[in-house]
Amino acid sequence: MSASAVQPLERNGGGRKSNWVRALTSGAAIVTLLYVVLYALYALWEPRALSSYTFTNLINNAAPLAIAAAGETLVVLSRGFDLSVAGVVSLTNVFMAVWPMEGPGGALISLLGCCAIGAVVGTVNGWLVAVLRLQTIAATLGTMIVCQGLALVILDAPGGMVADWVSYELTGTLFGVVPIAGLIIAAVALLWLVFLRTNTGIGIYAVGADEQAAMLSGVSVTRVRFAAFVGAGMLYGVAGFMLSAQTATGNPNAGAPFLMLVFAAVALGGTSLSGGRGGLIGSIVGAGCLMLLQKVLFSGGVSSFYTGIFQGFVLILAILFGRFMPRLFNAGAKK
Amino acid sequence: MVRDGQAALAVRAVSKSYGATVALEGVDLVLQPGEVHALLGENGAGKSTLVKILSGVVRPDGGAMTLAGSAFQPRTILDSRSHGVATAFQELSLLPNLTVAENLMMPRMPRGRTGLASASAARLAASEILRRYDLARIDADETVSALSLADRQRLEIVRAMEHATRVLVLDEPTAALSEVEWLFGLIRQITARGVAVLYISHRLAEVRALCSRATVLRNGRSIATVDLAGASDADIFEMMVGRAVRNEKAPRPLRDSAAPASLAVAGLAGGQLKEVSFTLRQGEVLAVAALEGQGQRDLFRILAGLARPAAGSIHIDGKPTVLRNPQGALKAGRGIAYVPEERKTEGILSSLTAAGNITLPVAGRISRGGLVWSGLEAKAAASVAGSVDLAARYLSFPIADLSGGNQQKALLARTLLTGAQTLLLFDPTRGVDVGTKQSIYAAIRRFADAGGSVLFYSSELPEVTDLADRCMVLYGGRIFAEFHGEDLEEQRLVGALVGHAAVPKGMPRKAGLETGS
Repeated sequence: MSASAVQPLERNGGGRKSNWVRALTSGAAIVTLLYVVLYALYALWEPRALSSYTFTNLINNAAPLAIAAAGETLVVLSRGFDLSVAGVVSLTNVFMAVWPMEGPGGALISLLGCCAIGAVVGTVNGWLVAVLRLQTIAATLGTMIVCQGLALVILDAPGGMVADWVSYELTGTLFGVVPIAGLIIAAVALLWLVFLRTNTGIGIYAVGADEQAAMLSGVSVTRVRFAAFVGAGMLYGVAGFMLSAQTATGNPNAGAPFLMLVFAAVALGGTSLSGGRGGLIGSIVGAGCLMLLQKVLFSGGVSSFYTGIFQGFVLILAILFGRFMPRLFNAGAKK
Repeated sequence: MVRDGQAALAVRAVSKSYGATVALEGVDLVLQPGEVHALLGENGAGKSTLVKILSGVVRPDGGAMTLAGSAFQPRTILDSRSHGVATAFQELSLLPNLTVAENLMMPRMPRGRTGLASASAARLAASEILRRYDLARIDADETVSALSLADRQRLEIVRAMEHATRVLVLDEPTAALSEVEWLFGLIRQITARGVAVLYISHRLAEVRALCSRATVLRNGRSIATVDLAGASDADIFEMMVGRAVRNEKAPRPLRDSAAPASLAVAGLAGGQLKEVSFTLRQGEVLAVAALEGQGQRDLFRILAGLARPAAGSIHIDGKPTVLRNPQGALKAGRGIAYVPEERKTEGILSSLTAAGNITLPVAGRISRGGLVWSGLEAKAAASVAGSVDLAARYLSFPIADLSGGNQQKALLARTLLTGAQTLLLFDPTRGVDVGTKQSIYAAIRRFADAGGSVLFYSSELPEVTDLADRCMVLYGGRIFAEFHGEDLEEQRLVGALVGHAAVPKGMPRKAGLETGS
């Protein structure tokens, strides 16, 4: 049993937090606020920040990390860690660069291929974790290394060429203002909102909070874990697809930088790394913040060597802030 | 007696083992429709395993179950539920991060027009359920973590009642409820519809108020099914404890009641503990007996310096003392040392040798030039190994390779090596075989005879009666009774353990409800 279930929280009626307070103190709201603040800073130092071109660039930069973080969120919510993100992104990037397919039809087949690669890796992860009961870090560490190795076998050095259609169209805009990458991110968010209203979607939160209680409540823990890993794998595939559109070339180590940043984005987005609390949209905005921070620092004249230091500090501050906000409101409500 | 064919649920010779541990061997149980049937037994008698089997969480190794005459072999909790058998679990199976409505609807949410789970439909359905069970004051949109423990318990009961069309299993349903009328009223309603209720509680007064018959489990077997009207409390306790002949208690010299107190606490409170006062004298072995969760854990953790008391004072060897941590406890007066219950997590360091574990707390004392030489370590370990009957050849083994009994001996040796004159032992022989138990008892007695003081908690009553000079029974966080000398015998203890002397007000001790047939 979790400790929270044991605490006697005898409360008087009427002490309930209203919905808007809850929404405002959620992780997603805090990280969105952070994004707005960062953007304002960016606009202050860089007048072109408000142009459609700059915005599209920002979204394009952030899209791969945002979608990968969205996938990772599924696993983290169900109380697990998925390191295979780095492997799947590398593998799909290599796949895109070695077998480019032109035209919109080719792009669609490539996208489906990327999703399939992710789904296969996710299925293996799900099987190792849900059926063989391996620890999530151990199981996904294994699949990550296998995928990295596979990527190297397919393409042993950076090179190859991503299909022109993919690298031009997917980094462009619709009607000259709406970034295509933004639409894809929006589609992921929309899918999440639908998934959230399925039994499996609610089951992910249940399993993440207390696997035993979820089982006793009738939730199929095995099915939920499979769904989380397969869904995550497919999103990593999409992330690899978007990264390929961005870089237009292949690199067998393309996924490596994602490993840490993905967890940073998830935590920044207000998802508890111990499972059961948070959401996917927060992670997407969290990824956006991490990438935006780089731009802000650059435009503020800070050397790019300092980027990591700032990213780390912002991450820790945001988590502290997220913990502090609800307390602040609670204290107010008690008076 | 009614034949099985008409019974709501019949369990025949059901058995279950976990590896070498036999949890159940040969349990028979028959529930009639509309009956409230009690399941009684000590801790570890097999009650929770039986509950898990009935709920479909674990599958039995042998035996058969029938539900209203047809075979009943639930494979999952949903399977069991679909047959009309539902359980309110003792450890509560609610998800704290989900709303009341989501918890009540688990695992399938009601769908809206879009085919997706609809929060408003769930809220509506849940509010309707809560209203029917007289809990309209609970908001269906509230997250469960914001509810009081009592309301969570009520929710767990409501959810089980919603699904129980044939058999309802209630495992300690009143553990967090201060008043039981709400529950008793619901049980009367559900039995009036013909649902059979299996009621598990250690509160005998409640059982008598509610149930007509009881089945007693002991060591994984069903000992008997009795009519509660015709059985005295003493009869029931005897069945729970068993009549097994046991060794005469070794004659013990009377303790000098004027011996100086090594530990005296007054008004101690904290966690589940509410106002506990007692004195432990030099040369005395004092036992604490209690059912699970009566505050014994808090008592030991406070005295070991692992938890801070909320109130009360502690005198060690006559001096008022504040225990900040285990190191502090070890240095207070003549020293207090604690042997924890969870060997694996709190006690041993599994990567070190037995000798390394034993000498750990005195590593500083036996080092030479700041380094602990293995020769010194072995010498120090060997000096105490004999006093706990631990064979010297085990000392060089990694402690994880030792049996549970030998690990416990090593832990005890480590405690003795600290030189502390007051030992706190929490369930010192849990999971230890009989022979090892005897040598641990002998070591404890030798320690006390040499002037040391021992406070121990045990979940096994024979251990309490055999080893202790005096025994305190904790119930609801207070010292409920105290026994010494002739009075210290098992059956009296069992009565006190369940708070027997205290019948809650407004609960007349009568034969039970009319079951309608």
